[in-house]
Formats: sequence, C-alpha cells, structure tokens
Amino acid sequence: MELFGALGLNVKILIAQFLNFAILLFILYKFGYKPMFALLEDRRKKIEKGISDAEKSSEKLKEIEEKEKKVLAAAKKEAAAIIEKAKEQAEKRQTEIIKRAKEEVGEIINQEKAKIRLEKAKTLKEIKKEVVDLVAISLEKITGEKMDNKKDEELIKKIINSGSGK
Amino acid sequence: MKLNISLSPEVIFNIGWFPVTNSFIWLLALSLFLMIATIIIGGRLKMVPGGIQNLIELIIEGAYSFTESIIGTKKKARRIFPLIFTMFLLIVFANLATFIPGQAAVSVARENGTVPLFRAIMADYGLVFVMTMITIILIQIVAIAVSGPFGYIGRFINLSGIKKFFKGAAKGEFKFGVLAQGFLDFFLGIMDIVGEVAKIISLSFRLFGNMFAGEVLGAVILFLAPFFVPLPFLFLGLLTAIVQAFVFVVLTLIFVSMASELDESAA
Repeated sequence: MELFGALGLNVKILIAQFLNFAILLFILYKFGYKPMFALLEDRRKKIEKGISDAEKSSEKLKEIEEKEKKVLAAAKKEAAAIIEKAKEQAEKRQTEIIKRAKEEVGEIINQEKAKIRLEKAKTLKEIKKEVVDLVAISLEKITGEKMDNKKDEELIKKIINSGSGK
Repeated sequence: MKLNISLSPEVIFNIGWFPVTNSFIWLLALSLFLMIATIIIGGRLKMVPGGIQNLIELIIEGAYSFTESIIGTKKKARRIFPLIFTMFLLIVFANLATFIPGQAAVSVARENGTVPLFRAIMADYGLVFVMTMITIILIQIVAIAVSGPFGYIGRFINLSGIKKFFKGAAKGEFKFGVLAQGFLDFFLGIMDIVGEVAKIISLSFRLFGNMFAGEVLGAVILFLAPFFVPLPFLFLGLLTAIVQAFVFVVLTLIFVSMASELDESAA
C-alpha cells in the first residue's frame, strides 16, 4: 500500500473524482450528445424526406407531362374528326342545295313549258274553231245552201282532221 | 532553485476531512468549463448549422463514425459513444491545459515547504485510475451481459477439461491427454484474470506515465535551459497530449468491443 500512498491515491479523492466524472458525463450527455444526435438524426430525416419529395415531384411532373401529351393528342384527333365531319356535312349540304336548286329550276321550266303548251293548245283550239266557222261560212256561200247543221259540222271536222291528220 | 518533482498530487488545503489537491482543483475547473461550454453550445444548436456548430458537428460525427467502425454496430456505438467521447474530451483538454503559460511559476506555501498550485490533471494517478476502473468495470459488465454470469466465471475458472477427464475416468477410460488439456485450459483461465489486471495497469499507467513524464521532462528542461531549448519538447508534449488521449480511448473501445463479441468465440 506504500505505492498507493506514493501515487497519492486517497479513497476520498477517488470518490470525488469519480463523482466529478459522473456529473461531467451526465451533463455532457444531457446537454451535448443527446440534443446533438437528435438534431443530426432530425436533419438526416429532413434531408431524406426532401430528396424523396423532390424525386416524387419530378416523377409526378413526368406523369403530368405525359398526361398532357395524351390529352393534347386526343384533342387534336377530335378536332381533326370534327373538322372532317364539318367538311363532309358542308359538302353534302352544298350538293343538296345545288340539287334542290336544279330541281326547282327544272320544275319552274316544266311549269312554264306546261303553261306554254296549254296556251298553245288553247290557241290552236280557237284557231280550229274559227277555221271551222270560216269554212262553214265559205261552204254556205259556195254551195248556197244551208247544210244541215249537224251534217255540216261532221263534214267539216272530217275534212279538217284528214287535213291535219296527214 | 530547487526542482520540485512529486509523484503524487500535492494537497493545497483541507475542507474538513477532505484534502483538496492541486490537480483536483484543476479537474473541477476543467469540468466546469466543459459543462458550461456544452450547455451553451447544446442550447444553441440550429437546424442549419453555421460557424462553430459546423466544426463541432464535424468533430462529433467524425468521432462517432470512428467509434462505430471499431465497435461494429450502430446500437453499441450509440451506447458507448457518450462515455468514450467524454473521456476523450476530458483527457485532451486536461493535457492541453498544461500548455497555458505561467503555471509552473505559481506555488503555495504549506507547512512543509512550497507546493505548486498547478499540476497537469492527468498527472494525477487517481483520476486516471478512476477512468480506467470505469472502463474495466464496464468491460466486465458487457462481458457478463454477453456471455451470462456463469459463462463469465467459466471463462476465468475453466474446469470443463478436467471435468471431461473425470467423466471418462468414471467409465474406466483414463485419457491423460484430456487431463493435460484440461489443466492447460484451467491455467489459461487463470492467466485471463492476470490479463484483466494487466489491462488496468497498462491502460492507466500508459496515460499517467506519459503525462507525468511530460511534466517532469518539461520541468527539468526548463530548469536546465529556460530559453528556446524547451520548445521542441513542448511540441513533443503537444503531440503526446493528443495521441495519449486518443490511445486511451481507442484501447477502451477495443476492450469493450472485444468483450461484447466474446460469445461468438466461446460458441
């Protein structure tokens, strides 16, 4: 135990030194390492989260871009279809209108033609009647006798008809 | 002028029955300094570090990853790190504090001559002994926790080989090779006890010896040639101050990690 004495080992001081070290360790742990590690861990998590968030957002952006492209393409297709349809319809309508116009024109012409024909027939009839009268008067005058009205008319008609029937 | 070299720290005054030594005063002062610094720094930690905090984080993270690389797992490192780093801080600051100039000049008058007021904290074997004992007891606790109380005792008092021989003898087979092996195992177990004691001595006296020798060397050189000549020795002392702190801590770490991996070798 002489060595212990020479080295200055004293139980009281040893205990005091131990207590001192324990308190130091406690304080350093409580106010130093613990908050420090908590902070480091916290920061690590935050950075991790930030990175993952950035990755996620970029992924989402890509997704959205793709969707946009898809939507745009669909819209273009639809627009083209609509335009095509409209063109078709317009063409159809155009032909229809033209057709109708033609028909109308044709109808009008026909009507006019029919009118003309009717008038012609009417005129002819009148002319014929006049001719019959004229012939009858002439014949009366020539023959000098008044023919039986009925006979007369029949005769004239025959003559005219044979004349016009040629 | 007389050279004053004392192996033990000198008692400056007594508080009741408690003898206050010069190194103990400085231990208290240094501890107080470390605590206050820690509380100030710990209370001002910011999420976005700047200046000093960056430096401190760099040191602590570096030390922590070093600890983890030695001890293996993250869980173990988390548990041992506060103790290890506190020891390291205490030793480094204690050693560096000896370079504050003017210390050797101040002495206090006592009944049996003058006593220097300053003494290197780690040149007090008591404190080094306390820290070593903390390490050694920790190692034993870890070893017991890992291999169980019986496995722990069985490591030092190894009778399994001898038991094996007597079991064989009961059946009528006298294998003296087994007996010899058993005695060898027993002897090696006893040697392990010596090894544990040797750990205490090697660990504590390495640090104490280096720091005390540094003190003595400094005093002697200063006594022989006070100007310029002590400079290289001071640089050497600076190197020793950090290296010894590092060595003490790393050895502690290695002992603990060895103790915590015992069951693998035993199984």
